[in-house]
Amino acid sequence: MPPDRFDTSKPFITLAVLVLVWFLVPTVAKRVSRIGFYELQAPVEVSASYLRELQDYWSWRTRSKTDIYNAYQDLGGVAAHYAHAAEENVALRREVEKLETLLRLPTFADYRSESARVVSRDLNGWWQRLIVRKGSAHGIVKGAPVIFAGGVAGRISEVHRTTAVVDLISSSSVRLAASFEDDDRPVSFQGGINPPFSRPQATAEFVPLDLYATPAKPKALVTSGLGGVFPRGLRLGTVTILNPSPDGLFKTGRVFLDPRLNELTEVSILIPLDPL
Amino acid sequence: MVQSHRGRDSRLQFFYIPIGLGGIALMLGLVFQQVWRSDLAETKATNQSQNRILVPGPRGNIYDREGRILVGNRPRFAVVLYLEELRTEIYREYVEIRKAYRAANDVDAPSVTQMSQIARFTVVQNYLAKINRALDRETELDARSLNRHFNAQRMLPYTLIDDLQPEEYARLLEQLPVNSPLQVYTTSSRFYPYGAAASHTLGFVSSNRDIEIDEDFPGKDLMTFKMVGSKGRDGLEGRFESTLEGKAGGTVYRVDPGGYRVEALHRRLPVQGENLISSIDIDLQLAAEERLREYDLAGGAVALDVNTGEVLVMASLPDYDLNDFSPRLTQTVATDINERGAWLNRPVNGLYPPGSAFKILVTIAGMQAGTITPEKTINCGGYYRVGNRLFPCHDGHAHGEIALKTAISKSCNVFYYQHGLETGAHAIARTARQLGFGEPTGITLPSETRGSLVPDPDWKRERYDQSWVPGDTANFSIGQGYMLVTPLQMATFTASVARGQTQTTPYLTHDPNRPVQQTAPLGLTPGDYSALLEGMEECTISGTSRTSFTTIRNMRIPGLRVGGKTGTAQKRTPKGTINFAWFIAFAPIERPQIAIAVIVEGDAPGEETGGGTYSAPVARDILAKWAEKHPELIPPPPPTDPAES
Repeated sequence: MPPDRFDTSKPFITLAVLVLVWFLVPTVAKRVSRIGFYELQAPVEVSASYLRELQDYWSWRTRSKTDIYNAYQDLGGVAAHYAHAAEENVALRREVEKLETLLRLPTFADYRSESARVVSRDLNGWWQRLIVRKGSAHGIVKGAPVIFAGGVAGRISEVHRTTAVVDLISSSSVRLAASFEDDDRPVSFQGGINPPFSRPQATAEFVPLDLYATPAKPKALVTSGLGGVFPRGLRLGTVTILNPSPDGLFKTGRVFLDPRLNELTEVSILIPLDPL
Repeated sequence: MVQSHRGRDSRLQFFYIPIGLGGIALMLGLVFQQVWRSDLAETKATNQSQNRILVPGPRGNIYDREGRILVGNRPRFAVVLYLEELRTEIYREYVEIRKAYRAANDVDAPSVTQMSQIARFTVVQNYLAKINRALDRETELDARSLNRHFNAQRMLPYTLIDDLQPEEYARLLEQLPVNSPLQVYTTSSRFYPYGAAASHTLGFVSSNRDIEIDEDFPGKDLMTFKMVGSKGRDGLEGRFESTLEGKAGGTVYRVDPGGYRVEALHRRLPVQGENLISSIDIDLQLAAEERLREYDLAGGAVALDVNTGEVLVMASLPDYDLNDFSPRLTQTVATDINERGAWLNRPVNGLYPPGSAFKILVTIAGMQAGTITPEKTINCGGYYRVGNRLFPCHDGHAHGEIALKTAISKSCNVFYYQHGLETGAHAIARTARQLGFGEPTGITLPSETRGSLVPDPDWKRERYDQSWVPGDTANFSIGQGYMLVTPLQMATFTASVARGQTQTTPYLTHDPNRPVQQTAPLGLTPGDYSALLEGMEECTISGTSRTSFTTIRNMRIPGLRVGGKTGTAQKRTPKGTINFAWFIAFAPIERPQIAIAVIVEGDAPGEETGGGTYSAPVARDILAKWAEKHPELIPPPPPTDPAES
């Protein structure tokens, strides 16, 4: 018996009905469902990251006591070093505060930092993102700068309740005002299209013509602090060659970023105390 | 009842033939349009679906002879709005506005065009408000400019705020999303690191050049939107326009029926124009201008490389800050320049009687004619009688028995009245023309005056229908009367004298391989020439007559022997007689390298604006800076005899 004509076209009709329903659903409902999707997805990813940490823990437990003892010793050395550095930082901060008071200067404590574990990485040619285990519940705001030991990691692009998405500085959607380490003039830092597993790169544009960089004398690119989002002096990368643009107005250069950007496990989010 | 027409019906055949012929005609028409006229159809389709934008290439830089930038390009950052990306937003706003008017049942509701304009204004205003918040500004939107832009230049970005400060540019860079319709846009405008220095020589540009792109760039017949380019209007900018102008770039876009961009099809980046290396030495230029500026008087200075004729200094006061012309000159600044008389480039366009500096030329003419020799003396009694008229020396000061060397150094008028009359006006005029007076120097500037004048009896008869009288020759002999020269001519004359030749062509571009100029010799015996130079050197050493306002003060530069001559020409004005202070000089006298001419215009009748007091210090400052920079070009002093010391 030949199949009923309605039966054969049932999937298409269902699809058409669904599309029609989705089209008619109010924008607010669509937005709620989209956010809900992320909020529901977040615990899965967070749980997965906890499981990975547990897995790491048990893999360490399988090591011999000697290995653990050696690692403990190494860690002790690093911890002591950091403790010393932290003490120095405290002393320096007090000194700065004292000078600020004496000179009646305004304080520059514009940010507080929030450490966050990386839950997952979404790295491809078009965008490079991280999901971190902190969200609006921890005071994270959209646009907040994200840093790591090597300098700037990126910028918060989406904030959910317990997670947040970070656009890495290697991503083409990130642009910020930078400057060279020994020069105050602002230049444009623009992330680019980075193939997976390659060393992340970006582009420095609108570089004044009187600045030079060579492989023998590379120049460090840092945040300018003029953009109002990133504090001044955070490392972005290194420029080894600056080429003049055809119109002769500026130079442009490729910025080599820290390779650790592709394997970040923990970052620090700078939360502005006085958001714009 | 229905009838069937089986078989041939002769009545229907009347319809078959015209219908068949019509069908064939249509088919042929279609084939004609599709095959033979396909190119035309394709061109029309392309023209309707593509547009192109041309952007000017930045101009080349101008450097001084040592590679320091005198004119460059400064990036200008503007925040612009790409209107084509706002189509949906503008349409939504339009729908909202229309809905609101309909709901209000307003009988005076605006037309569709007006509602479109309101919608567009509202959307753009919202974006401007964002920028104002980010930059803490209060810029307002000009509805008329927006409509004009939308109607005529829809494809070009609409500038919301021009010439952002670096901090503002940085702030927007960081705060505007990469894919926002708001973007930071860069253009260039002229930048002058030394402000007003050599402003007349460098010239300026105006921002109204209609740019063109190479023929091989596609889309010649397409609707083309052009950004405004700049064109050199004066000075080196104007004269070397073809060298400095950049090559335009452009983009061909596919556009939708509304004229909005869809995608870029061809792109060519603009290319900067060629650079120009001028002959100016900015250190010497600044030294001259600094001293001239102290006087708060009009004036000019020119310094030349004696051997190549390259212009090292060309200063003209009052001047203007070239940065005021960039990106465009305002009416207020233009009026101010006009009122101060600062447009005139005095070294090439200012015409002055040469005054006593002309005595050097009269000396040469006299030596050529054999009427002046180094040894011949005259008695200066303070006056010289020509016919019934007494011609004074300086304020009637008597020099007594005086020979050539002292006559030059003390600038004795009586010596030159007498010798000028002996030499004759024709001979003096001939020598003056031989040495380049009366004709433009040919310098590479757009508007050198042709008004320089060497008078002679024929000229006076032709011009005034009057006879040349001995008094005219007497005046001519001391650089007064009808003679008119430019400071540049005086500088080329000085350079020629320094080389012992008759002509010097000035150049404003630097060429390290430019050969030494070789022209006809002055035609003086070595003894005569040596006496002339001695007199000029003496002028810078002992021209110290207290009563003379041509006194040279502080002319000495240790280790540098300078030959010079002062001059103070007079001009009658409705307010009274004013002075023009001259000084010409060259150095080192043993092996000349630099020749200078300076003019300072007095502005108050009766004020003693003398060449020694006003112009010589300018030359001294130029020479001091030159000596500081080129000690290797100064010959060492001759060894002294130990017994004598």
